[in-house]
Amino acid sequence: MTDTVLTPIQTAYHYLYIGVIIFLALALFACLIRAIKGPKIADRIVAVNMMGTMVMVIMTIMSLLLKEDYLVDISLIYAMISFIAVVVITKVYIGIYEERRIAKEKQKGGADDGMD
Amino acid sequence: MSRRKTDEEYSKTKAYKFFKWLRGENSYIPEETRMDMGLLIPIEDDSTIKERMNEKQMAIDKVYDEDSNKLLKFFNKMYRVVAAMFLVILAALLIYNVAFLPPVGERDKPDNNEVTERYIEKGIEETGAVNIVTGMILDYRAFDTFGESNVLFVATITVLILLRLNKDKRPDRDELEDHESSDRIYEPKNDVILQTVAGFLVPIIMIFGIYVILNGHLSPGGGFSGGAIIGAGLILYLNAFGFEKAERFFTEKTYKWISFFALTTYCLCKAYSFFCGANHLDSHIPLGTPGAILSSGLILILNICVGLVVACTMYTFYVMFRKGDF
Amino acid sequence: MEWIRLVIGAAFLFCGLAFFVMEIYGIFKYDYVINRMHAAAIGDTMGISLSLAGLMIFSGLNFTTLKIALIVVFLWFSSPVASHLLANLEVTTCDDKDKHMKVYDELSTLEEELKESEK
Repeated sequence: MTDTVLTPIQTAYHYLYIGVIIFLALALFACLIRAIKGPKIADRIVAVNMMGTMVMVIMTIMSLLLKEDYLVDISLIYAMISFIAVVVITKVYIGIYEERRIAKEKQKGGADDGMD
Repeated sequence: MSRRKTDEEYSKTKAYKFFKWLRGENSYIPEETRMDMGLLIPIEDDSTIKERMNEKQMAIDKVYDEDSNKLLKFFNKMYRVVAAMFLVILAALLIYNVAFLPPVGERDKPDNNEVTERYIEKGIEETGAVNIVTGMILDYRAFDTFGESNVLFVATITVLILLRLNKDKRPDRDELEDHESSDRIYEPKNDVILQTVAGFLVPIIMIFGIYVILNGHLSPGGGFSGGAIIGAGLILYLNAFGFEKAERFFTEKTYKWISFFALTTYCLCKAYSFFCGANHLDSHIPLGTPGAILSSGLILILNICVGLVVACTMYTFYVMFRKGDF
Repeated sequence: MEWIRLVIGAAFLFCGLAFFVMEIYGIFKYDYVINRMHAAAIGDTMGISLSLAGLMIFSGLNFTTLKIALIVVFLWFSSPVASHLLANLEVTTCDDKDKHMKVYDELSTLEEELKESEK
């Protein structure tokens, strides 16, 4: 921070921003626990999506705290990329799952024929 | 016509006889022995092959089974311990090294030399770009950036060579063609909700990418980040509407021509520096007022070129890794 | 005047944070993905839009405010679609559907209900 003396309202803004950022960081840890524990793949994606939302808020607060406009742009890009990630991951995972399931069924059917 | 002979003609040539002799078909072997030799190599049908594969698999399973293989169990345990220790030691080394770095913003740091001073003091004056980073990478060091764009191009070509499927040798072509011209078969397609939203979002993403590219010399961003955003928009369109619709406007030909024109324009824009003795700052193009969109000479054009190359590269990588063909 | 703006903005921001807390409570309370998704969607829509509204009040009327509003609009479009795709993934890849989400045949349940109401 700069050496100039802050007015009371600037001090209030400063402490508010820093408090909210610390709170959101703790919330991120909670989401991370869910992402590690989550028994299914959908659990993990949900948790990571939530983390993305919180990171967006943190970035916007940082842009106001540091008075840098471009961080808002980065936040917008972050929203976009996380959405595209969900779209691609769900699509690819469903495709692979179905392929494996059908291959397994085929193998099972072939084995049954051999037994008969 | 091919010059290859038919089987009948080939059987009369000397080469055929020679290879036949090599295989040992001509040599005299008594009847009984020949039969024995035939028995030596049993003819395998599918079931015996399957059995042998099963045996092999069982042997492999036995080797990798932890209960019967004590050494493997020990190894698996030790592997984790050693990996964790290695990571801790690496992190400790790196953190220890950070302690020796000079504090941020110190005056006598080695990277605080005359080059940085020049960029900061005369950057706006000489390049006309408000964003010093863009002025640096696209004017002072434009040839570096040209190399980077070419690296992207070469990487795409390598991926094309490695992953592209031959159209005639594609497996199960008839089966695949039923499913929307060889899209991945089992993936969900034509999701109406996703398509409706993609119809709204893709134009917004594209416009945002174009905004980032065009404002490269005014605000942070520029060709690389804007191109990545446009590529992401194209990937979203592809995922929502499928390969068939995306191929209406983006095929291999489009990629080739866009990359070719972008790289050639970049090259021509910076080629004059060969005639001014590698001093490519003074281009006799009016720099305009710093802060306006149409300012800072060639930087805007170069940004657009880099953005096009990056967007095409991202999209092509995605398509090649998903499908192996345009 | 400045203090009033700070108080209003902080109120919005803390409302958003409260929604985030609810979201985190929800994902640890429920024990199946679809229920958790319901909790997570609250934060994606209400939480972020309220907290960003507070930040918009802080930053005043300028170009940054417009960009923050664009983030909110973008999330209103994208978050429901993401939830839809995730639910689709879960329904497709779930191995024991009957345990978590039993699907009743529509017609037969209707008939049963009608019979019960007649009795």
